[in-house]
Amino acid sequence: MNVISNNNIQCTIALAGLQNVIDPEIGLNIVDLGLVYQIDFDEEGKKVFCSMTLTTQFCPMGESITSAAKESLKLSFPELEPTIELTFDPPWNHEMISDEGREFLNER
Amino acid sequence: MFSVAGNTGNTKTTSYKVVLPFYAYGAISFLAGSFLLFYTSRTASVHYFTPHNLAIVHTMALGWGTVMILGASHQLVPVMIEGKLYSNTLAYLSFLFAALSIPVLVYGFYHFDMGHFSQWAGIGVVLAILCYFLNLAISMVKSNHENVHAYFVLTAVLWLLTTAIVGVLMIYNFSYDLLPKNSLDYLPLHAHLGIVGWFLLLVMGVGSRLIPMFLISKYNNKKQLWWIYGLINGGLIFFVFIFLWGLPRFFLLVPLFSVAAAILLFGNFCVMSYKARIRKKVDEQMKISLLSVLMMCLPILFLIFIITGLITTHAQDLRIMISYGFVIFFGWITAIILGMTFKTLPFIIWNRTYHHLAGKGKTPNPKDLFSEPVFKWMSIAYLSGFVLFTAGVLLHFMLILQIASALLVLCSILYNWNILKLFLHKSQIKS
Repeated sequence: MNVISNNNIQCTIALAGLQNVIDPEIGLNIVDLGLVYQIDFDEEGKKVFCSMTLTTQFCPMGESITSAAKESLKLSFPELEPTIELTFDPPWNHEMISDEGREFLNER
Repeated sequence: MFSVAGNTGNTKTTSYKVVLPFYAYGAISFLAGSFLLFYTSRTASVHYFTPHNLAIVHTMALGWGTVMILGASHQLVPVMIEGKLYSNTLAYLSFLFAALSIPVLVYGFYHFDMGHFSQWAGIGVVLAILCYFLNLAISMVKSNHENVHAYFVLTAVLWLLTTAIVGVLMIYNFSYDLLPKNSLDYLPLHAHLGIVGWFLLLVMGVGSRLIPMFLISKYNNKKQLWWIYGLINGGLIFFVFIFLWGLPRFFLLVPLFSVAAAILLFGNFCVMSYKARIRKKVDEQMKISLLSVLMMCLPILFLIFIITGLITTHAQDLRIMISYGFVIFFGWITAIILGMTFKTLPFIIWNRTYHHLAGKGKTPNPKDLFSEPVFKWMSIAYLSGFVLFTAGVLLHFMLILQIASALLVLCSILYNWNILKLFLHKSQIKS
């Protein structure tokens, strides 16, 4: 699933960082898992907004995953203030896993 | 510019403080139940309605199976209903009532003292279930997300409540003439309300959500799940009808085949989920959980023998009846808990220990918080103990019974070892 952004270059940097955030149960990073929907940048307001989902609402690991995503954005953009917004519209499904993600899960 | 899709949600999950006491209590009960089995294994095949057997069954059914399921479901129900748990206080109360009542009840059964203490303990168990039922029902009403799994769980808790009320009436019936017949006569009703209505329905409801989730499977078949729901509840209601109206024993085949069909459909659901999984590697915890689904067929086989015996010769084969109870409580119920404990508890402990460190450094994997080799040895001890004990009861071989029950004690010690390792886990990262 493609991530929507208003700044493709910055988005690539953000996604590279977010690839270090792993879903502990599945063992796959949240980007290849398809949990990240949108990343927008407000250079003037010095903010970065990330809209993401979880594999299931009220996932016991949900808070840890969103905290880790926020820390990752802080690390990638120390000058910007990150905001994570959780959405379940559309809800996550298996089709959102990237080809790399599928390959990874096939091998494990 | 910052438009984000609607329907944003929160992820606030049930606190680990609510859930952990249930896990600890369940683990100790398993240890106690296994020790009781070992200690009384010489009398294991005398009769199913003996004080020792009643004590073991209630340790396993209430202290182990029910408490463990109550604990885990306080964490899992929000995932299933996509809504927050209504009240932590009700969860604590549920634990408190259960934790105080179950040992008194088991002690009462062991010494066959059905006096005031056992009577109050029975009421305590009913109150524990009532707290859980209220918590669950209000959580579901508030969540506005209807799904088949939630119906399974809620109906299962209603059956559990009925089971407990019938149980309390049976205890009181020893002192007061509350029921038209002897308490022993109500045992099949009490037992099957609990086994089929509570354990089977709940395990299938939760399992049909968790098994595809843990396998990362694309398979989903709501229609099949509704069939399972109908077959189990329909079969059980018909069984109650046969029991209360005293219909000929031949009719017992109807609920038997109804529940057997539900088990086969659930087995098919699990096989299809397995085939449609995206993650190819299946871990040991999932393997033992999937094995427990296969083990659900064993009680059905024993039940065919029991019912055939009742219809043809009107005789009860005690060895088959004791094996039937054993393959339920030490069989699929124990197997699924052994597997699912280590699919859920490590994550709860990980959240407790590393939640505040998420993203700030490398944290261990939840799977690394318990010992995988100990889990493997536990599984080996369990499976060999289970097979040998069943064979020991059927062959009436004392030495096999003692060796098998010792293996089950070993299994419970190893299980508790890993539980303790998880509970005592401390952060290995400086914050």
